Amino acid sequence: MKDSFLFPIIFMLIMVILFVGILAIMYRVSEPKIEAYKLDSFQRQVLALMAGKIAEATAMDAAQIMADYPSSFETYILPVELHDMDRQAFQAVVGDSVVAYCFEIKGKGLWGSMKGLISTTTDLKTIVDFAIVDQMETPGLGARIEEDWFLSQFRNRLFVQAPDADDVTKDYEFISETQEPETSNQLKRVTGATITSDSVLRMLRAEFNLIYRQMQGLKS
Amino acid sequence: MKMKEIFITSAFTENSVWRQILGICSALAVTNLMQNSLIMGLGVIFTLAFANLTISIIRNWTPRSVRMMVQTLIIAAYVIIVDIFLKANLPVISKQLGPYVGLIITNCILMGRAEAFASQNKPLDSFIDGIGAGVGYTLVLLLISFVRELFGFGTIFGFPVFGSWWTKWSIMVMAPSAFFILAMLIWYINTTFYKAKV
Repeated sequence: MKDSFLFPIIFMLIMVILFVGILAIMYRVSEPKIEAYKLDSFQRQVLALMAGKIAEATAMDAAQIMADYPSSFETYILPVELHDMDRQAFQAVVGDSVVAYCFEIKGKGLWGSMKGLISTTTDLKTIVDFAIVDQMETPGLGARIEEDWFLSQFRNRLFVQAPDADDVTKDYEFISETQEPETSNQLKRVTGATITSDSVLRMLRAEFNLIYRQMQGLKS
Repeated sequence: MKMKEIFITSAFTENSVWRQILGICSALAVTNLMQNSLIMGLGVIFTLAFANLTISIIRNWTPRSVRMMVQTLIIAAYVIIVDIFLKANLPVISKQLGPYVGLIITNCILMGRAEAFASQNKPLDSFIDGIGAGVGYTLVLLLISFVRELFGFGTIFGFPVFGSWWTKWSIMVMAPSAFFILAMLIWYINTTFYKAKV
């Protein structure tokens, strides 16, 4: 029977149905948990990136604001509509005043797409904080762009220097990870991940150009 | 063969990496940090053991012409099960693992053990063989990553060993260093334990 023409086809079909069925059921059962975790960690990240600015405006402690999640997210964070852009945006509102913005940004890395979140000052010119949310870079090399020493370089950096130019962003250059910056436009790259480090900067510049123009349009 | 013998043969005497030169790609890719190596190793042990068990259970009904497709399907299914389980129940570890879980599918040790052992032996023996091969593979990953992380980052499992005075060897973080270390490991083990001629 095993050597007949039809048996292998039927056998393979049964195996595929069986295993794909098991995987489909397992995924459907786990999906609500997976989606809930994704939403929760995304919202936490958004709040974390603007917690410092909220803390300044409310005279609270940033750690306390994070500890009060999710109520602090519901109290201070409101969505912002960006037209023709497949990106989420948020604003931190204390009283009637906007104290910071947070934008989802997207770009291409060495091996695939990458996604980040940046919070900015209300004039949209300076990065308050920056986080990589999703990336497909080489573990131990390019994936080190998620490490705090790399991301903290972008904190409180002026990024929009020429609001009326085609490229509104300030020029930055990478130096070796082991060197110390000598000028204000130097950033340390991840050792062994030149393309990934450059991709992060390219993503930030491209997204800043898009977001700055879009937000200026919304404000006016 | 007794189960202990099966385990020792699979894990050490006929180790997939240093004797059969299998699983080299991932051994080079993930060994820059010990934590990555351990997590990858645990994933491979689980997948190898259960894929071997399943392949062995159905071996008498599996037609020869489609056996490799069936084996690939089973291996891929177990890898996805691990992935879904981690995402739903241990999301922090899942995020740390990143693409490693998916990489297990491409590990040729899995197909090697399925074809060489599980498709011809009893389920429990195949299960033990899977654990043995996985442990042997994990051992090699940990040995290579120990050297790479220590000299490349000055740490072991992320804990500082050398302190700030240590100048990190960038070459150790990059893939070529794994080639040298793996080659030296294979040379040492073969000349010491197998009396191979140099």
